[in-house]
Amino acid sequence: MRPLIYSFIFIFSGFVFTSQVAAETWYVKKSATKLQAKAKARSKVLGKLNKGTPVDVLGKSGKFYKVSAGGETGWIFRFKLTKNAPSGSSGDGDVLGALGGQQQIAARESAYGSSIRGLSPVSEEHAIKKGASPASIESVKEMERYKVDDEALDKFLEEGRLGAYAD
Amino acid sequence: MKTKFFILCFLCAVFWAIPSHSFNFGDILKEVEKSTRPPEKAQPKKEETKPAQSQAQSSEQSSGQSGGLIGLGDSLGIFDKKTSKILQQSVNTLKSLQPIAYEEEKAIGGRLAVEVFNRYGGTYDDPELLRYINLVGQAVADVSSRSDIDYHFAILNTEFPNAFATPGGYVFVSIGLLRMIETEAELAGVLAHEVAHIARKHALQTLERSRSLQGVSSLTLAVMDKDPGLFDKLIDEVSNVLFTKGLDKNLEFEADKYGREFAYRTGYYPGALKRFIQKLGASKKNQGSIFSSTHPTSRERYNLLQKSSSRYKKASLYPTLGKRYKVAIKRQN
Repeated sequence: MRPLIYSFIFIFSGFVFTSQVAAETWYVKKSATKLQAKAKARSKVLGKLNKGTPVDVLGKSGKFYKVSAGGETGWIFRFKLTKNAPSGSSGDGDVLGALGGQQQIAARESAYGSSIRGLSPVSEEHAIKKGASPASIESVKEMERYKVDDEALDKFLEEGRLGAYAD
Repeated sequence: MKTKFFILCFLCAVFWAIPSHSFNFGDILKEVEKSTRPPEKAQPKKEETKPAQSQAQSSEQSSGQSGGLIGLGDSLGIFDKKTSKILQQSVNTLKSLQPIAYEEEKAIGGRLAVEVFNRYGGTYDDPELLRYINLVGQAVADVSSRSDIDYHFAILNTEFPNAFATPGGYVFVSIGLLRMIETEAELAGVLAHEVAHIARKHALQTLERSRSLQGVSSLTLAVMDKDPGLFDKLIDEVSNVLFTKGLDKNLEFEADKYGREFAYRTGYYPGALKRFIQKLGASKKNQGSIFSSTHPTSRERYNLLQKSSSRYKKASLYPTLGKRYKVAIKRQN
């Protein structure tokens, strides 16, 4: 009886350890996304990934996905990832640099977001032509210049136990 | 003996089952994402705004195929001439326009943002409150379905309860509305509703279907620059939708659902938006305001959110952060 049970455990464990977990490629939604050592918001930051970086999703724990990117394995808050490659993604080339621990924003980052800043001349000319007040035009420019930095946002989320810090 | 037999049977079953049920974590994640995605009932059909693969080919096909079908309907007496013409015009509009790109979206949204400040009291001067609004807004935008663009948040200096979103990432909330809000979760719900309008490109969808763009195959900044009359028309049309008529009801309901989802992803109590909508409906301040005339009734919005609220399990465990909000708005107890 016992040898039969042992052989069962042996064979079954072999299946468990050798079964291939097919990883799926997802993409980082925003630059400076943290890759962390554990599935916890306060765990060590292994590096910051650029927007569009492809990652292989290996597992899940709570609100975090275990991923592999550029040879490094770590955890990312799940809503920072998407199944669709953002257009103009920075691609593989930037992953290693980003994993060096520096917050690099790739120079050739997509045309989306950060590189299209400021009120378009077409909009401004039209607004002036239609008699919009200079104060209103300046308010839009000011609105566009205003930026909350990532650290301040992170602290705000931590204090409110929000985002990755939520229980 | 019996036990050995059962163990053998079990082993056989295991050997058969393991290879035939290969485990794919990706599939599981797909399911997880599906389950966390808000229902897309109100989502307009993709085909309506999808560009044709080749412009020349598409116009040929549209005039050939649909024109043929409409023509056939006409000749068979199914449609009268007027109906045929309207159908043909609609088909041409839908088939010919390429989706509006981000650069153009931002030009339209930026111009409308100037209009918002012009019409609704300019900026409310409170740097601390502005920082707080930007922190909450950025937090919900970061987990939205379109977090790869920049979002900008501003406070309008008007006591009327109001909130707006213009294409390209501009979000506005009036000081009057902020005074009605009681918790950070409610604020997150309101801002997330506006972020959802931008993320789902609601104003652009409306514009892409409009008559102003009939015959325009690709709306680029160069085209707008060359034809100032076209830009005029576009701005007038979107202004009319955003500031007077309001978006289609279904788009508002969709923004409610997505907004609640984005606030929930951030970690806020998901019932807060629903609660605020109810409060807004009961408020005298809201009666006759532009906000009430451009949105469906609070009752309709509340009921739809209520219907789908069961998907948020243990919702009451999520924080509303009322105290932090009171400090930010400097409200006295």
